[in-house]
Amino acid sequence: MPDAPILQVSGLNVFRGATHVLKDVSFEVARGELVALIGANGAGKSTTLLALSGLLPARSGTARMTTDEGTIELTRASTETIVRAGLIHCPEGRQIFQSLSVADNLALGAYARTDKDWIAQTTEEVYRLFPILREREKIPAGALSGGEQMMLAMGRALLGAPKLLLLDEPSLGLAPKVIDTIFDVIAELKARGVTILLIEQNAAMALEIADRAHVMEHGRITLSGTGASLMENDRVRQAYLGVSA
Amino acid sequence: MSQYLFQQLINGLALGSLYALVAIGFSMIYGIVRLINFAHGDLVMIGAFATLGMLFYGTPWPVTLLVVLLVGALAGATIQTVVFRPMLGAPQVTGFIASLAVSITIQNSALMLLSGQPRNFLFPEAMRQRVSLGGVSASLTDLVIIGLTLTLIAILFVIVYRTRLGRAMRATAENLMAARLMGIGVNRTILAAFAIGSALAAVAGLFWGGKFGQIDPLLGSVPGLKAFIACVIGGVGSIGGAMLGGYILGLAEVLFVGLLPQAYAGYRDTFVFSLLILILLIKPSGLFVRHVEERA
Repeated sequence: MPDAPILQVSGLNVFRGATHVLKDVSFEVARGELVALIGANGAGKSTTLLALSGLLPARSGTARMTTDEGTIELTRASTETIVRAGLIHCPEGRQIFQSLSVADNLALGAYARTDKDWIAQTTEEVYRLFPILREREKIPAGALSGGEQMMLAMGRALLGAPKLLLLDEPSLGLAPKVIDTIFDVIAELKARGVTILLIEQNAAMALEIADRAHVMEHGRITLSGTGASLMENDRVRQAYLGVSA
Repeated sequence: MSQYLFQQLINGLALGSLYALVAIGFSMIYGIVRLINFAHGDLVMIGAFATLGMLFYGTPWPVTLLVVLLVGALAGATIQTVVFRPMLGAPQVTGFIASLAVSITIQNSALMLLSGQPRNFLFPEAMRQRVSLGGVSASLTDLVIIGLTLTLIAILFVIVYRTRLGRAMRATAENLMAARLMGIGVNRTILAAFAIGSALAAVAGLFWGGKFGQIDPLLGSVPGLKAFIACVIGGVGSIGGAMLGGYILGLAEVLFVGLLPQAYAGYRDTFVFSLLILILLIKPSGLFVRHVEERA
């Protein structure tokens, strides 16, 4: 089914403790698309990604990933199975393994992959995209700068062979120059046909690069459209782009 | 070196080997699930009685060693699966109390099944002789304990730092959520850490019996407590630290007894605990841990 959306989320409800965080969230991501989720802190963006990778249980609703290898119910599968199926989640705050070397971090990114040649080739590619990582190969990842850690997190995600890549706030806390590097890589991945679901607090950059975007407020998707159309939307401009009416 | 000092040194290293074997597993388990496992010492007892059973049937030593490793691994894996797995993510104190319950259960089951009567436990004649090394002599048992311990620790280091499983264990220990996102089956990884750590403790039981000649169902308490102290000295969660902590503790105990006047020998634990307090005052994170990382 080459035309089925790679991700179909429908009526998803997620609780964290007693708090109802996601309320009937439904959206789709088509193959090769870059979809952005924007919204204020606490709107439920990260929770959405955590539920998709099987780290938070869904109370009701479905999330389905369809690839050439078949369809997988993300709300019922284990994270291990989900990662093997090609859903790679680059989490908020990078979450690299600080005490492990850069090379070990990259090797862990490829933990679910078995093809040694592919891993060696992709590791080379990551080093080409981020040459600084090759220089720091043997150093504990915790000693890297924030920007380098983000590059490592991206590189590690690429070694998972993502069919669907979830990026949670890749620009958070980084210098503008590093953000540009990260977004260049995101654009390159998109050009190569990797499907991406992107969360960004930097709404302007996200909308610029996204094919489509959804605005999340209080656990619901309240507005959807193409990146360009949302950039023109008055409400979005006021609330998220800092443009006064 | 005088014969007396040399003998004390070998004796301390052998005792340190026992502590190190138990402390490493204790530390691995703490490192990967932040569990202070007070039932860990009871694996020493299980290993000692498994050895006794094998000796009864006249099993050759190399086979006995392998069987004891296996029994320890199975016991550790069972305890993890039945008791600790359902508690993953629960507050730390829950696991701590559960480990006390496991310890009491193991000790009392052993008392019921095996009776509280201490059993004699002897290495074969050949192992109990003394060997002379250029003017000084040492007990072969001690030398074998030291040699086998260092071999097992070397194998462990290869597993932890050179294999895919070891990398997954280090990743899981540092960041459980990120490890899951790498596609690591964290339950299997945690199980492996318990099995490996428990196997080492069981081997310590084999050595314990051989060194002291007598075993009973409660013998795990002391090595369990000493392993905890060794971990605190070396830095909890670090394998190398636990190993060095074990050797420091073993050497310190023996040297306190050996070098102080006879009248003070009964106070050796006083000196050991004073050493612990001193180390905690100077370096609370342990001697061999560079920085303390708390998992969020």
